[in-house]
Amino acid sequence: MALLELKGVKKIYDQGKIEVPALRGIDLRVGQGEFTTIFGPSGSGKTTLLNLVGCLDKPTAGTIIFDGRKLDDLDKKELAMIRRHSIGFIFQSYNLIPVLTAYENVEFALRLVNKYNPRETRDRVLDILSAVGLEGLAHRRPNELSGGQKQRVAIARALVKEPKLVLADEPSANLDSKTSEEVLAVMAKMNKELGTTFIFSTHDPLVMAYARRLIEIRDGLIAKDQRREQDAVLN
Amino acid sequence: MDFIAKIAFKNLFRSKLRTLVSIAAIAFGVMIIVFARGIVLGMIETIYDDHIQFNSGHIKIVTEEYQKRERLLTLNYPVDGFTGEGVGGMMAELEKIEGVEMVIPRLKFGAMVSTEDELVALSGWGVNPGLELAFTDLENDLVEGRMVRPGEREVVMGTALLEKINRQVGDKVTIVYNTAFGSLKGSTFTIVGRIESTLKLLNETVVYLPLDQAQALLEMEEQATELLLVTTNLKTVPRVLPAVRGLLAKAGAGDRYLVLSYRETSDLIPLMDLSRIIFNYIYLLIVLLSCIVVFNTMVMIIRERTKEIGMMTALGMEGKDILQLFAIEGAFMGVAGSLAGAVLGHLVTAYLGKVGFDYGQALSSMDAEILFDTMIYPVASAGNTIFAFVFGVIVVTLACLIPARRAARLEPTMAMRE
Repeated sequence: MALLELKGVKKIYDQGKIEVPALRGIDLRVGQGEFTTIFGPSGSGKTTLLNLVGCLDKPTAGTIIFDGRKLDDLDKKELAMIRRHSIGFIFQSYNLIPVLTAYENVEFALRLVNKYNPRETRDRVLDILSAVGLEGLAHRRPNELSGGQKQRVAIARALVKEPKLVLADEPSANLDSKTSEEVLAVMAKMNKELGTTFIFSTHDPLVMAYARRLIEIRDGLIAKDQRREQDAVLN
Repeated sequence: MDFIAKIAFKNLFRSKLRTLVSIAAIAFGVMIIVFARGIVLGMIETIYDDHIQFNSGHIKIVTEEYQKRERLLTLNYPVDGFTGEGVGGMMAELEKIEGVEMVIPRLKFGAMVSTEDELVALSGWGVNPGLELAFTDLENDLVEGRMVRPGEREVVMGTALLEKINRQVGDKVTIVYNTAFGSLKGSTFTIVGRIESTLKLLNETVVYLPLDQAQALLEMEEQATELLLVTTNLKTVPRVLPAVRGLLAKAGAGDRYLVLSYRETSDLIPLMDLSRIIFNYIYLLIVLLSCIVVFNTMVMIIRERTKEIGMMTALGMEGKDILQLFAIEGAFMGVAGSLAGAVLGHLVTAYLGKVGFDYGQALSSMDAEILFDTMIYPVASAGNTIFAFVFGVIVVTLACLIPARRAARLEPTMAMRE
């Protein structure tokens, strides 16, 4: 069974008298453990698709099934619970809480899940920080970290609760190519080790090089859906 | 919840200056409340005390006609016992009532003193010196000499009155008065004491003399113009009142005398009670004004953190968690500001409560009959300080809920797009 299934998903933004169609009918299945990249020009509907899949928005038409649950039937609270427990987000501009340390930023996601006792929480946070290569930097605040380190904290925050799906919106947009490569390598490693499903939205060829599935979106429709046996970097 | 509180607390340090300004605004508002309430409480307490000590006691017994003409100091409607047998027996019976601690007779009359170029009007008060000293604060105001003694033809008067008639303690003074039968007489007294009071009435108008002397001079043996009953405390007044009325009715004097509680004999007390309510609205207004600063800060904070709110929502925070986050941040500011304001306000009020402040100049044209002290001693009470603190915290937190609700309602996709 697919982790994620979209059937005839449309999203139309109502901007006063004008209706702007962002997605015109998307059919898509994403399986457990996939490392997928959605790419396409600006305004093609990548972010809209990610928002719908991430339970941040609802489609105008069509159905989204995530982990066997039909999202259209769920209310705000239920969608928030799915995001809290099953989906991790990685943002282009990291979106860390500046007053919290790296440790606390990661702990924040785990505290929301509210499933672990303080000792387990501590162990999990330190383990994931170590896994993304931030050993010894746990007590630094975001302003004391480099761009790459911040994105690693964001990755750790997304992964610490062991979500079924991680959505990354332009994760390398603010990073230089060397740092991008390091960060992508961390995500690829997590995908392999934890079996977490990753969906990226990107323009970056480097990110595409890491993907095993490339979905091109144009004008709100899937223009190309290409699977690769091996990614171009790690193989 | 504790993690949300932790984030809220840390958020206070994002813009220290802004947080400090908000806290200072709240502190200022709360300080004003503590101080203003201290003044109002001090004023009300003084008005109650002065009225009870120098006008009404806890319960006042007068004839109905005297009550109507009290300002004229008429001698035609005295208290002379249940059926005219004399006030002494009536006082003895009243003292037996449970809850009555003292029965104080006063014989008030109009009089004059002639100086070289004018006649100075005054109010003679024939009193039982021991009872007066026991019930009132007169002893503190008696700055020179002593209180009058029964059987002696002597008087005690206020500093301003002595200056007006150009006399001092030890001098003689001739007082002119009308007896109960209307004949004009004059008697000479020795001035044995000087009162310096912040009450205009005592300072400028009243002349104390022994009750027996007043009764003899005015030809009013065994009579007084009023009886003041002192009860165990103010709370016992409603219980004692019907007992007094019952006694008078039983003795056949129910129709002759009015038995009035201290509340019924003052125009100022109901006014003060009303002002207390009005002031409560003014306090609310003061804190609301301080809240504008906090409100503005919160609106700015939420604008700045819109994207962060979107991220938190994306991570699974619900609207109520976001609301909590900002409400707690506001509450922290409310607690810090209110605490600082309450402590500062308490200290200022306590200091002024010791030294007091004189606004006699403002009251110089006020009638001496109106018992309004020229010194205010603000009351620094723990209750007042705690009230202002809690009031500040609640109002500030409630004010923060408005922008916080806006933050809680933000759609994550809209917030992220900011």
